[in-house]
Amino acid sequence: MINSENTSNPSGSNERAGAQTQMRKGVLELCILSILSKKDAYPTEIIEKLKDTKLVVVEGTLYPLLTRLKNTGLLAYRWEESTSGPPRKYYKLTEIGLQYLKELQLSWLELVDAVNKTIEKNN
Amino acid sequence: MNKTVTINISGIIFHIEEEAFDKLSKYLATIKGYFNRTEGGNEIMSDIEARIAEMLQGRTSAVKQVVLMADVDFVMETMGRPEEFAGDQTHENPRSESEIPSFDINEPVKKRMFRDPDHKAVAGVCSGIAAYFDVDVVWIRLAMFLLIFFGGVSLWIYFILWIVIPEAKTTADKLAMRGERIDINNISKTVKEEAEQLKKRMEKYGNDFKNKDFSQPRNFFDKVVEFIKEFFLMFGKLFARIIGFILLAFGVLFMFVFISSIFGFSLIGTNSEFNDWVNLFFLERSHYTLGIFGMTLFFGIPILMMIYGGVKLLFRIVYTNRWLNLSAGMIWLIGFIVVLFVAITTGKDFGNEGKIKEQVQIIQHDTLYITLNKNKELTAHTSSNEDSDEDDYRYGSMKSRRNNDYVIGNTGKKKFIIGYASLNIVPSLTDNFEVYIIKKARGEDKRSASERAKLIDYKIIQKDSVLSLDELFTVSPDEKFRVQEVRVLIKVPRGKVIHLDKSLESFISDVENVTNTYDGDMANRRWIMTKLGLECIDCEGLETDPHNLLLSPPPSPPLPPGNVNENSNDGNVQIDKNGIHINSKDANVKIGKDGIHIDTKENNKD
Repeated sequence: MINSENTSNPSGSNERAGAQTQMRKGVLELCILSILSKKDAYPTEIIEKLKDTKLVVVEGTLYPLLTRLKNTGLLAYRWEESTSGPPRKYYKLTEIGLQYLKELQLSWLELVDAVNKTIEKNN
Repeated sequence: MNKTVTINISGIIFHIEEEAFDKLSKYLATIKGYFNRTEGGNEIMSDIEARIAEMLQGRTSAVKQVVLMADVDFVMETMGRPEEFAGDQTHENPRSESEIPSFDINEPVKKRMFRDPDHKAVAGVCSGIAAYFDVDVVWIRLAMFLLIFFGGVSLWIYFILWIVIPEAKTTADKLAMRGERIDINNISKTVKEEAEQLKKRMEKYGNDFKNKDFSQPRNFFDKVVEFIKEFFLMFGKLFARIIGFILLAFGVLFMFVFISSIFGFSLIGTNSEFNDWVNLFFLERSHYTLGIFGMTLFFGIPILMMIYGGVKLLFRIVYTNRWLNLSAGMIWLIGFIVVLFVAITTGKDFGNEGKIKEQVQIIQHDTLYITLNKNKELTAHTSSNEDSDEDDYRYGSMKSRRNNDYVIGNTGKKKFIIGYASLNIVPSLTDNFEVYIIKKARGEDKRSASERAKLIDYKIIQKDSVLSLDELFTVSPDEKFRVQEVRVLIKVPRGKVIHLDKSLESFISDVENVTNTYDGDMANRRWIMTKLGLECIDCEGLETDPHNLLLSPPPSPPLPPGNVNENSNDGNVQIDKNGIHINSKDANVKIGKDGIHIDTKENNKD
């Protein structure tokens, strides 16, 4: 089925899968903010972009996250009529969101750098 | 051939196969269960539904119009299992494991009460209730409508239910609203199930204890704790409903009482005398209105919250409205403050007593005859005229009662507050009779209180040796009712005589005398001021044989107008528009429109 954590990770215990999920979720936040920094988008668009990167395994994950980001003031949204379906909720980055994204990007780069160095050293 | 159902997801109509519909509705209900307590849960839910609608739309076309099982499977696969993507929500909102719904296709969708926005007349309360109990909405609406005539009870209940029952916003809600087909016995059924469950657990623990190896005390202790926890959890579930029912029942009962008392108050409000008192008592009319308003909130909010809590417990509505609790508390507090404000502002104006003493200039005589001027033109217009009649023949027993009575009367157009004055007699320090009028009133401070006292209208008229005291004093309504009092003080010099007319019987109060004669019995006698105090001149042998007094009748003072006052030593006959009234020391006879009343002293003592 869709439980890719366990299939892609045959040896993984629940704990390990959990750690991966948590890691993904954290990174997901950064990705969503990045996508939205370029262009306003509605959930389906965001999902399309994330799917390419295999970051989103199930779509359901996205909705609680978007709502949380919106509630913390990082995102705002507006409704747009759609010609072919229900009205779409277009999310956009707020000022605070942009600020936060910059900070997040910085610490992400630092983290990647640090992690890579550690991994290299120990290999 | 398959049966299809028409559903509406995010405002888009789909025809869906019945089996697929069941699966989809359970799926949505499960997701809903996860996000139920999450902040913004409803929003997440409608986002997800919008996405599902979009996906389903992409999989249907003019050729393939019906949503099939495969489409639902696709949707579920894309969206993921609820526990997969909503699992972490439980971190923020910890709840016990048993409460987390798991997606089980075989379990029927749990029915919950919602307001139905699709079939609403006002807010969808009636249609929601109808959906819950699976009856036609017409009956619920009819019941609600009929209940309006019971003091508008159903309006309040409707309003509470409007707040307490969440609206079915998402498709999952709407599905849960219709839910598993249940009848009106559903609640009792659930209660029975819960009781059964409780019993089973108890038996299980009972068996555990019996078979328990007590060599492991720690384990045993844990078991006990666990048992107690379980017990209270189960017990709590069962009793929450019972408490909910009790709360609801009492809440509705109190509301009936409350509404009828408000109803009663508004009826009294139309009574002009009550209205007059309201105007006299409060500084401003608006304070009364404010007070009623405050009281309504002060008592109304707890009653509403009782019904609210009752409905929530009884129908196990998990949905909580933080704002509601907060604003209910705030509104209650406002009510409390308003009541407090009115009480303090009104009370403050009663805070201090002021007193003024006015001397009345009189011409001196050796004997002063005191009579009462009954101000008939005032009392005739008081609305409690008949009451005072009653007093007239009851006066032998308790005369001081009158001193605390106030009535509203009028002469022609102008209204007055009317009060009863009283009389005290003390020794004079000079050789002259001195007469004072002591006026009292209450006010914000001593000064305004005495200002107010000064404006009390009270007269004493002297005609030769006869001093005629007004029985009543009047206060202009502009001065408000502030416990105004008038007391006449007559200072009698030593050796001089004062005669108290029969009519003064209920007017004299707390006059000290040598023989400790009661005030009422002091009337109709002559009193001389001695070194020791007032002494009765014509009381001798009174106790043993009152008829002796017939031999020495005191001179009759001039009569108040309108009275045929056959003043004998211990009785009088009064004939006026109220009938014939005979007073004697031992008995009162009253012949009037109510028949004949005979009161003897013995009766009065009883």
